[in-house]
Order: sequence, then structure tokens, then C-alpha cells
Amino acid sequence: MLSLTELRVARGEGHERHEVHLPRLSLAAGHVAAIVGPSGCGKSTLLEAMGLLLAPSALHSFTLGTPSQDIAALQRAGDERALASIRSRDIGFLLQNGGLLPFLSVRDNIALPRRLLGLPEHSERVVHACATLGLNALLNKRPGALSIGERQRTAFVRAMAHEPRLLLADEPTAALDPASGERLFGLIVSLVKELDMAALVVSHDYTLVAQFQLPRLAATLTPGGCRFAFAA
Amino acid sequence: MPSPPKRFALIARLALQDLWHDRQVSLCIAAALVAVIAPLLLLFGLKHGVISQLQRELLDDPRNLEVRMLTSGSYDNAWLANLREQPEVGFVIGQTRSLNTQADLLKDAQHFVKGAELIPSAPGDPLLADTARHPEDARVILSEPAARRLEVAEGDRLTLAVSRRFDEQLERGRLEIEVAGILEAARFPRPAAFVALPLLIELERFRDGHASPLLGVENGLARGDYPLRYARARIYAKEGDAVKGLVKRLEEQNIDTSSRLAEIENVRAINKVLELVFGVIAATALAGCMASMSGAFLANIDRKRREYAVLRLLGFQRPAIATFLAVQVGLLTLLAFAVGLGLFALGSAVFNRALATSYMAAGVVSHITPTHAVIALLLTLGVGLLVVVVGVARAYGIQPSESLREA
Repeated sequence: MLSLTELRVARGEGHERHEVHLPRLSLAAGHVAAIVGPSGCGKSTLLEAMGLLLAPSALHSFTLGTPSQDIAALQRAGDERALASIRSRDIGFLLQNGGLLPFLSVRDNIALPRRLLGLPEHSERVVHACATLGLNALLNKRPGALSIGERQRTAFVRAMAHEPRLLLADEPTAALDPASGERLFGLIVSLVKELDMAALVVSHDYTLVAQFQLPRLAATLTPGGCRFAFAA
Repeated sequence: MPSPPKRFALIARLALQDLWHDRQVSLCIAAALVAVIAPLLLLFGLKHGVISQLQRELLDDPRNLEVRMLTSGSYDNAWLANLREQPEVGFVIGQTRSLNTQADLLKDAQHFVKGAELIPSAPGDPLLADTARHPEDARVILSEPAARRLEVAEGDRLTLAVSRRFDEQLERGRLEIEVAGILEAARFPRPAAFVALPLLIELERFRDGHASPLLGVENGLARGDYPLRYARARIYAKEGDAVKGLVKRLEEQNIDTSSRLAEIENVRAINKVLELVFGVIAATALAGCMASMSGAFLANIDRKRREYAVLRLLGFQRPAIATFLAVQVGLLTLLAFAVGLGLFALGSAVFNRALATSYMAAGVVSHITPTHAVIALLLTLGVGLLVVVVGVARAYGIQPSESLREA
């Protein structure tokens, strides 16, 4: 599903330069991996690069999906349009604070990615996800009327509504109390498995990651940057 | 990807939902615009009302269009025809004498006017425009003072009489005429009859000693080559603005004139001053409105930066963000214009009611034409467009990745 080698992303210039290095990553459909590490090590930078929001300084290979799309070639050619199109179609983002649009109801927030792509509005997956996550009673509410946990569950459904192949989640449980965090985490893991997506979840909640036995892409500080590799 | 119209509909709907969600802020932005549009429309309506009232008063009175020749000379038909061709000229007719020809009008022994003025006229005479009639053959138009003294009405018949001394004898020519119409005293305050030019010339010929079967006098000269010359002419400009050019044209021929040029120039000067005043106020207000609306909108964009970043993350490209902003500004502008127009209508009604009872400003109404409204709308949309440009310039820098970072 996802295969990548020799990704380097740089932030800042000169003295401030911080380079994030990911030598190798492959993720099969239905699998969730966690990106863990201390604050400021570059977890979000790595997520942005994987989400095609940040151009890498070096990239050997990067393919996504079946049949696989050669993202590395598009990056090298600097084809922004194609990258933007892959980003909106094949990648779903689950943001730390939900990133829901306050002027849309839960239903419209969830429907927006499908509408933007011109997909039919009805989706069995979305109906199933809403039922599983207990959102059906909240569909007509605005995000402002939801609890943080409800918001994050809505954001999760929105992130997978257009059936992306890769889900990128940036500390989705950071703002939740431990019980809600555990519940959301569990739902993400099981739905990703059920829907055959691949997911990368940035988290600094080691207990949760350990509890769900997720493979961990752990950060090791190096001179002038940080290196991510699967921890044993 | 959905088709462009569907995409636009989606973006427009989102823009509308955002406006509605944030209606307090939206209303504030629109109110800033209303606060400028409504007073400007009122001011302009009043200025337009005052000026058009002054112009109407000027134009309603044909005497304001008249250019009187003070010097008399000897002019022929060619000169008159040439003058008639000039672009400034609305009406010209020759006068046989430097003072008006006179004749007696008789109905019966009790009702007569001695020495009524005879004034040549023809179709198109501005002085007779209100009566919608003109003299023809033996049909004449009487001024109201003449008609009152004769106690005649339209359609009545009377006798027109002129005297001459021929071969030491007093001779009297008579002609039965019909009253074709009556001209109100405001237009001509002295007893007079407006007659067709050929009749006037016939009377002059009789006075000069010619025989006139028309007037019932066979006695006299019968020369066919009566020299047709005019001492003066009744000249009217086509419109108020043409008076100046007409006066200049006549002065070039060394003809002294008197006209109401000063009054016309006065209105023009008032118009100019009011236009300047209005222009400066409008420019200042629009600039202030631009600044306040841009400020409010920029602050709004900064406040919603994360929302725009999320939209970008979900697949909104930059043109979509620009469309989103344009729809919002466009709607706010139209809303503000509609409300502004409504307030203008209310304010106008108040003005018009108050001014109608004031002696000073009787007849002055505050109003604008549809063209003015369209121009005002375009100006408002222009302001909106500038605000969109400023907003889009700010929003273009928003990256989708910003949605991932915590503020």
C-alpha cells in the first residue's frame, strides 16, 4: 500500500536547519503505525512530507496505493497539480484539534470531502462509520455544540469519508481525557483494519501505542536533525 | 472532480453558510457599507433634485430661452434661414418692425382692444408650446389679457382692423379672424394676438399703401416686388445650455442682445459647486468605507485563517478560496446596497414631505434616476471588488499545512 525509501525533509536554514530522515517505511493495507518521539523532533514535519504538504529535500522512492502511484517521480517533476489531486483524493487528514468547519453541521462537515471530489454523497462506509462512532444523534449539530471527543470522532469520519488509501493523524487524542482517547484510538485502529486503509498516527502517548501493540516509528536525535525508524 | 458550475455552487453555498454562521460580523461589515451608501445616495438625490428643479423652472419658462435682439436692422429670409440652421437655435421668426405691429381687435361696440400687439408666430413657437396651437391664416392666438377684455373664448370670431392714411384719406382694412387659442397671462402679460407671418406681412403691405383684397381695400399700389425685409427676429435657443453660444453667434454679427444668460449660468455654477462638494464628500466617504471594509475583512480572514487552511487541505485550490471570498464580499455588498437604497427611499420620503410644505423649497424633491442607481451599484461593487483583491492577496498566502500546526 505505502512504500517509501530515503525521505529527507529539511526545516529552517543554516544554524536553525533541522533535517528529518526516514530511511525506509512500508505499510500494508489495514495497518496502523505510530510515529513517536519527543516534542520538536519533527513528527509533524514528517507527517507533512508524507501528506505531500511539504516538498522533501531528498526522496528515493515513494509509492502509494494499488495500483501504485509513483509520487517520487511527481515530486521530482514538481507537478503541484497532480500532487494536490492525490492529496485530496488519496489522503485523509485527522487534525489534532479536529479542524472541523464551524459553519457546517456534522453532516455537512463529513460530506464535504466527497462533495469536493464530486463523489456520490451516500457512502456505506460513512454510514457504517457514523453508526460505529455513535455520531448519528449529532449529525445536525454544529461543531461548536459538540464535546472534544465528539469533535475528534467527527473529524475522523471526515478524514475517511472520501475513502482515502492513507490516513494521517496528528496527535488525535492529545486533547482528550485518557478514557475518550483510548476509545477513539481503538475505533481508528479497528476501522482502518476494516476498511483496508493504511494509517500513520503521530502520538506521544506511549501507553496507548503500547496498549494497541502498534509498530512504532521512533525518533532518534542525530546531529542537525532526527532519524525515524521502526523500533523493536 | 465535479463540473465547474457544480463546484461554484458548492463554494458559494459554503461561503453563504460561513457568512450566516458569522452573521454578527457579516452584518457589521455590511453596516459599514450601508453607513456610506445611504447618506451618499440621499445627498446625491437632494443635489439632483435641487438642480433639476432649478433647471425645470428655467426651461418651463420659454422666456429664459429667448435671445432678444436689441439692435434692429434689415434682414432677409436667407439670413433667417441661415440662423435657423444653427445648432443652438430652436425657433426663429422674423419681425417686420423694431416695435411690435399694432392693430385693433373688435368684437362689438362694448368689447374691443385698441392697439393690440401683433406678434408673428409659427409652429414650434416656444411661447405657444403650452397651448399646443399655432396661428394659421385668419386663425389667431390671443393673449389672456386681450381675450379677457374682449370676452371671447376659443372658437369665437372677431374683427381685426388696421388703419392707414392713403392719398390724404383715412382707410380702414378689416379681416374676420377666429380665436384658435388663448395664451395664459404668465406667458404674455399684455393684450396681444399671435398671428401667422403671412398675415402680418399682408398688414404691413396694406400700411405701406398696397391694395389688399384680403382686408377689403381694393384701392392702392399693386406692385409684385414688395421688398420683404425684417427689422428684428424673435429668436429662441434650443435649450438652456445653448443660449450662451447663440448670444456669442449674434454678437459676432454685431447684434446686441439681451437674454437670461446670467440666470442660466447661475444654475450651471450652482450645479458645478454642488457637484464638486458632492464629489469630494463621496470620494472621502468611499475611501473611508474601503479602508474600514478592507480592515474588517482582513481581520476576518486572519481570524479564520485555520478554516481557510482546512479548506485548502480538503482540496480547495487558491482560485476556490478567491471565489469563496468574492461570493462573500459580493453578497455583503449587494445586501448593503439594497439596505442603503431602502434607507434612501425612506430619507427621501422624509425630505420630500418636509420640503413640500416649505415655501422656500417648494417643488424640490430628492430623487435619483434608475441610471444613477445603477452607477451607484457599480461603484459599490467596485469598492467590493477592491476589498476582494485585498482579501485574496492576504488569503493567497495561506498554506494547507497551516491546519496541522497549533497556533
